[in-house]
Amino acid sequence: MNEVKEIPSSDWDLQRYLYTRDISSAPVISLLLKRVDVIYQPRDEREVLEVLRIAKEEGATVVPRGAGTSGYGGVLPPKDITMFRLSGRKTIMIDFTRMDDFEIDEENQIIKCSPGAVWWEIEKKLNKKNLTLRVYPTSAPSSTVAGWIAQGGYGVGSLKYGGIADNVEKLRIADFSGVREVSGNELKYYLGMEGITGIITKAWVKVKEMEDMNYYGFHVSAREANKIVFAGDHYAGLFLDAGYVKLKNESFGTDMPEKDVLMVATTEKLDGDEGLGEEIWEKRFYPMRVRRLGPGLVAAENVLPADSIPAYLNRLKKMIKKPHGSEIWYSKGKKGAVLTFIPSDERKFLEYVLTWFNSIRALKTAKKMRGVPYSTGFYLSCEAKTVLGKDLDEIMKFKKVVDPKNQLNPGKVLPKGAMAWAMKITQKVIP
Amino acid sequence: MKLEKELEEMLHACAQCFYCRVCPAFQSIKWESVSPRGRVYMLKGLKNKKIKLEPKLVEDFYRCTTCGACEEQCQTALHLVELWEMARAEMVKEGLAPLPAHKKLRELALQTDNPYGEPKEKKEDWIKGYKYEENAEIMYFAGCTASFRAVELAKNTVDLFNKVGLKFAYAGKNEYCCGSPFLRTGQRDIAYGLFRKNYEEWKKRGVKTIVSSCAGCYRTILIDYPKIAKELGLEWNFEVLHTSQLVNRLIKEGKLSPQKISAKVTYHDPCHLGRHTKVYEEPREVIKAIGAELIEMERNRGESFCCGSGGGVKSQFKDLAGAMGKNRIQEAKETGAEYLVSCCPFCKYHLKQMADEQGIQLKVVDLVELVNNLAVKGEYKGEDIRCA
Repeated sequence: MNEVKEIPSSDWDLQRYLYTRDISSAPVISLLLKRVDVIYQPRDEREVLEVLRIAKEEGATVVPRGAGTSGYGGVLPPKDITMFRLSGRKTIMIDFTRMDDFEIDEENQIIKCSPGAVWWEIEKKLNKKNLTLRVYPTSAPSSTVAGWIAQGGYGVGSLKYGGIADNVEKLRIADFSGVREVSGNELKYYLGMEGITGIITKAWVKVKEMEDMNYYGFHVSAREANKIVFAGDHYAGLFLDAGYVKLKNESFGTDMPEKDVLMVATTEKLDGDEGLGEEIWEKRFYPMRVRRLGPGLVAAENVLPADSIPAYLNRLKKMIKKPHGSEIWYSKGKKGAVLTFIPSDERKFLEYVLTWFNSIRALKTAKKMRGVPYSTGFYLSCEAKTVLGKDLDEIMKFKKVVDPKNQLNPGKVLPKGAMAWAMKITQKVIP
Repeated sequence: MKLEKELEEMLHACAQCFYCRVCPAFQSIKWESVSPRGRVYMLKGLKNKKIKLEPKLVEDFYRCTTCGACEEQCQTALHLVELWEMARAEMVKEGLAPLPAHKKLRELALQTDNPYGEPKEKKEDWIKGYKYEENAEIMYFAGCTASFRAVELAKNTVDLFNKVGLKFAYAGKNEYCCGSPFLRTGQRDIAYGLFRKNYEEWKKRGVKTIVSSCAGCYRTILIDYPKIAKELGLEWNFEVLHTSQLVNRLIKEGKLSPQKISAKVTYHDPCHLGRHTKVYEEPREVIKAIGAELIEMERNRGESFCCGSGGGVKSQFKDLAGAMGKNRIQEAKETGAEYLVSCCPFCKYHLKQMADEQGIQLKVVDLVELVNNLAVKGEYKGEDIRCA
């Protein structure tokens, strides 16, 4: 492999081991993964292009990586299998840790970010200028701008401003033919694509002025929550079902009443419990504290129309026999991202595998209720049609044009490869 | 590699969320092998035999100041500092640690009861001319750094005690290293021996309260010693104070009435005093009590950025310690303060060195020096600590 001395890189076996992971810990699936061969940490766009040049020259595959804080496997390197044989192609990882700068355009309320910029670092700087992010993920203390854009999804602020895809103004993309800037309709080739069509080297994201926000808590059912959340022009809405409150109490050592609860962040005045609302708001970055209870966690995350959510939660209660709970971040368009947690000890293999089946059951249930998986990534690439809908064919054609040898993050997003095949079978087998 | 059940559970409870990216070592080096979540994953990999314990891995594992910034941010509230220290102890047992510089400290301490290798008799040289008791309820524990390298800190502390008429004992050459450098670097056996010697000395002298002006000693005596005592079946009923707490108490009780000074001050929370033992407010209250204008650095209290010298990093990885220290000095400079105040001789020495290396005009002082020299004597002489 060509050495590019000036770009920080490592092929140390330990480093390769450490970079071959995200937050998921899926059983068995690790058989479909390999260790990356080398990790590059470019410092600027020129170095990203240089890494792509090396990949092209060597016929290597390229996996871009932000902070690795997702659980869909978008940054995992799958074994490259073609015609039932390992291709032998090397895998290069591009880690964006060193490309974390950003600029704030106060006048136009836009931030221009390098891919590795961390959401909460941006927020802290924005606040000094009386600006704030419109949307951010609940992993904001560590997750990166390009990481969330490349995966797609909803988070804090989505109730008013939609998903991250709705807030990207422009992207700068590097691929084997150079660099391009894309905006408008063309963005669909890159948003939520995990880098399979090109590597994000710059992102322009909309921000807003800071406002005085109120936080209210309501002890209401999911059905009642829908009415409150979508009744006004609110900034964010988070629903915790009773099961999740119980898990939270156990893991935080708190004593919140163990019943369904809704938190609304809004500039409006509402007749809710401010203390309760603030308590939930303050803990918004700690959804995975419940992992302590396993120790370990199995999660399911699906986006459903709001009116389907109450029935979906009821189905989960009947279906999942172990203690579990869900949190829902509501989004514009009367929908909600439902994240369900099932603490499970990953050292107990069989029990852990069986718990994972619940995640697949939850997905099947959500689809029956007009829901879609939160993201595709690696694990759910078989769901590309469900997530991308009519855009899928166009994206597949586009992929062939910009990456004819399927070197850019293969095995992700599109319904091809061993993982997509295995997950399709698994879905069929699991009742 | 063996870990106690509770610590092993942490490996599975870790969400890998990377909130621990605030780690000063990771911020400097940028590779996962030095990040806290990387270290957790590494330990998991060792346990599952996915990777091998090798010298290079051990080196990266020791590139951590045990500052606890990771623990402060941890989404699953894991006791990470304890995990790092226990894992290091296992690495020592496996024969891949201590690292050369830490091994040398051990050899010196075995000979002289202090990690600087200074003759025992010299430990009490600094206190000549000051009044103290052989036996008293309050014991001043100067610590090795203030006794041998940062004598101005020890001198200012007892000078202040003498001025307020505080009756205290000092063990002199019978004060032994608290064992902090060894507990932090996995060399637990020697720390147990040092604990026993200090413990017996305090019991013999009828001590009820131990006061330390070193954040590292304070953390060790407050947190580690009771655990060791329990393990050894010994009674532990000492009150442990840091000088900043005592000075604050003296001011509040009206026993010390420092004059007001006019100075802009920023305060660096030593990791062992702040995150480890949650003493955040008392030093700030003292600064405010002497009338100084306190300007906070962007990262303060629980989010304070480590100076880079702890956990055996400065002795083994000077460049890394330097990178962290320079980062912190820049942050202090941005406040526009005249004084950078800390409560730890280790932090003070390292930060002063980093300020000097960068040519940054910042008076780096300990809180006690500031109070005793400026607010009590009325002037700061700028006497520097002497370092090897």
